[in-house]
Amino acid sequence: MNILETKGLYHDFSGLEVLFDVNLQVKEGERLALIGPNGAGKTTLFNTITGMYHPTQGQVFFKGKDITRSNPYQLARIGMGRSFQITTTFARLTAFQNIRQAVLSKNGIRFQMFRKLDKMQDITKETDEILKRINLDGQRNIPAGMLSYGKHRSLEISMALATDPELIMLDEPTAGMSRDETHTAVELIRRLTEGKTVVIIEHDMDVVFSIADRITVLHYGQILATGSPAEIRENQEVKDAYLGDLEY
Amino acid sequence: MSTKLSNWILWGVVIILLAVFPYLVSFYYLNMFIAFAIFSLYAVTLNILLGYMGVLSFGHAMFFGTGAYAVALVLRHIEGFPLLPTILVGGLAGGLLALVLCPLLVRVSGTAFAMLTLAFSMLIFVAALKFREITGGEDGIGITSIPPLNIPGLVSIDMTDKINFYYFAIIVVAICLYLLWFYTKTPFGSLIVGIRDNALRMDYLGFNLPQTKAINLVVSGTFAGIAGAVHGLLMKLVSTVGVLDIGTSFKPLMMAYIGGVGSFFGPIIGSAILHILEDVVIRFTDRIGLVNGTIFILVVLFAPQGLIGLFNTAKAKWFQKETAS
Amino acid sequence: MSPTAVLYVAQALHGLAYGMLLFLIASGLTLIFGMMGILNIAHASFAMLAAYFCFTALKLTGNFWAALLIAPIFAGIVGVLTERFLLRPVHKHGHLAELLITVGIMTLILEIVKLFWGTESLVVKIPESLNGLLHIAGLTYPVYRIFVIGLSIVILGFMALILFKTRLGKIVQAAVSDADMVSALGINTPLVFMLVFGIGIWLAGVAGAVAGPLLTVFPGMADQLGMDAFVVVVVGGFGSLIGAFIVALFLGELNAYGIQFIPRLAPVLMFAFMALVLAFKPTGLFGERE
Repeated sequence: MNILETKGLYHDFSGLEVLFDVNLQVKEGERLALIGPNGAGKTTLFNTITGMYHPTQGQVFFKGKDITRSNPYQLARIGMGRSFQITTTFARLTAFQNIRQAVLSKNGIRFQMFRKLDKMQDITKETDEILKRINLDGQRNIPAGMLSYGKHRSLEISMALATDPELIMLDEPTAGMSRDETHTAVELIRRLTEGKTVVIIEHDMDVVFSIADRITVLHYGQILATGSPAEIRENQEVKDAYLGDLEY
Repeated sequence: MSTKLSNWILWGVVIILLAVFPYLVSFYYLNMFIAFAIFSLYAVTLNILLGYMGVLSFGHAMFFGTGAYAVALVLRHIEGFPLLPTILVGGLAGGLLALVLCPLLVRVSGTAFAMLTLAFSMLIFVAALKFREITGGEDGIGITSIPPLNIPGLVSIDMTDKINFYYFAIIVVAICLYLLWFYTKTPFGSLIVGIRDNALRMDYLGFNLPQTKAINLVVSGTFAGIAGAVHGLLMKLVSTVGVLDIGTSFKPLMMAYIGGVGSFFGPIIGSAILHILEDVVIRFTDRIGLVNGTIFILVVLFAPQGLIGLFNTAKAKWFQKETAS
Repeated sequence: MSPTAVLYVAQALHGLAYGMLLFLIASGLTLIFGMMGILNIAHASFAMLAAYFCFTALKLTGNFWAALLIAPIFAGIVGVLTERFLLRPVHKHGHLAELLITVGIMTLILEIVKLFWGTESLVVKIPESLNGLLHIAGLTYPVYRIFVIGLSIVILGFMALILFKTRLGKIVQAAVSDADMVSALGINTPLVFMLVFGIGIWLAGVAGAVAGPLLTVFPGMADQLGMDAFVVVVVGGFGSLIGAFIVALFLGELNAYGIQFIPRLAPVLMFAFMALVLAFKPTGLFGERE
């Protein structure tokens, strides 16, 4: 079953066409990489899928349900998680507090005004477990804004995962990372998304070819090609537009 | 000594001091203390929006004033309206006003929010001035006597006695402050701070922002209304200048800022400082506005984190020295 | 002209005069916000300061024109000093700090004015040359108000010329749009800021000095003017001169006709209008900046 599907998706910003008849299919459980040159519309596609924008035309389906007009918070509640290209965490809160917010949402605790948060031991336990799994337990009480870049990006990715979503959308998770940080991040992503569906926007081709089951190439707002990594590697159009003749 | 024990002792001392206070000072200072308490609560409600949710309410007097007017009107028009429901009416009025404004206020933040609240509070101020038949215009509405505190079947406490009223006012304010403090410690309280720090992330984590903001606004408005209600009872007169004017909107802002918007107690400290200052300065000059304004500018220039911020910086420096040596 | 027509035209002219004054004040305010991100709560207070300066200058020199010339300049100087020593240091502490310090400045100016000039209303006499009534087509209208309108138009025309036809003006326009970019281009933005702030205050000062004879000079002068100027800037759009112009004139007329025909509702209408605009377009009718 396609866990995520877009049908005839168009989007423009005051007349500037950014997405053009995008028909994306994501199979349940697969890891799909979305690649393409800068300005191809990858982040815009993410934004229309995750509810930040409502597409000017077309539809988006999640688990068979029409979510075209849904808002981000509604999608988070039915199993979609998203990380951002620009780190979007609570900079002044600690790593622990950051994850805890996600844990609260996951447990549906949205209007609890009658208990002290710090006294809720099950929440604390769950949060600490997650911190351990993402190797941030050592930085538990450090404000997110003071974490090293790599750790901060890891926190960012974890915020997308901590609500335990079925579909995870990662927007350039390794952006700005060093070689080593990238390795750690890739390992983290692989480990934490076992059995889940992942759509990942990436520019780092090594990351793409090591994670992705399938690749979709976006170019000037349109899907140029889609297929297995091997197919995409050999695809002449893709090479001309994006990959060049470098051997991957 | 454990922190918990020292906390209990601290609060015990505070309670004892508060209890004996009326027997130590004149009525003038008693009333001043009540005013300090009222404005502490009022300033805290502003900080629930500013420090905690990250939005500046530039017209907070509208909630305070609406609470005050509600009380004055209820006591004027309904014979024998009891005391506790009167206070609750004040809170209800403030909360209702916030609720009514929510659809607009939850959709904006930053400067737009500040300007909208300013606009609405000016609107209400002018309306209160113009519709004299209801509000008494500039002259306002007088409260002839504060109803007694009736606990059915038990006791009826006369509130015209200043000391009784002091206990009543302090207890009301203390309860409200405790409730608000507890509120900030709950999971919902952390959502509010989340909105301040990164509303986008809150949205993507699955939180309904407009709803959450609305609840916080109503909480702020309700308790500001209660503060206004007690203020009305203290002053025995509710008129536009003093509860609805822009000065009344700026006071809690200055208090919160001077004390420090980053902490729950900051506004309380700010309220204490401004009230003490006013009392001290008045002996030397009646140019209290000049002194207030200058001090405020100095605080903004040199201590933007407020007094609590200064305290925290000093503490950090002291600990640094400790570990260094 | 028939008597009713006369009434309407007179009101329209009142509205125009007040609208022009509002625009003089609001234009500085909106430029300052657009460029520096500072919402100067104290802006109208400077106008009031200039009115007081004008009063004193008139007493000292006995010459209205000299007073009218000197007062706004003095106010402008105070404005420049304020920017340099009170606003610039606070910039790094964020927008809230900037906003709050302008609140403090507003309070300070009010107290200083009460300290040096007292709380009584002061009368600034209109000079003989501008006193009297003009008779046109059956309409009898005070000359001074025509003067106010005329002077405003001249000054604003002059400002528009500088803004749109000179290099400095282009820099200012660019800085209003994107100050960081202008700074990156090597232009001394702190100097430009100081200049624009000073001129913005000067414009408000002209409005204040000129309004003195009309409104009388008293400590509460800044309240009404300030509130109205805010509505103009907020509704017109931050950083937009056109928006400020249109809304200022609209507000002037609304005030004039409102006070004449629906005195109770007029001020309420104005704020209701502002709330409405903000609800649907938080950046104002013509505004872009957050």
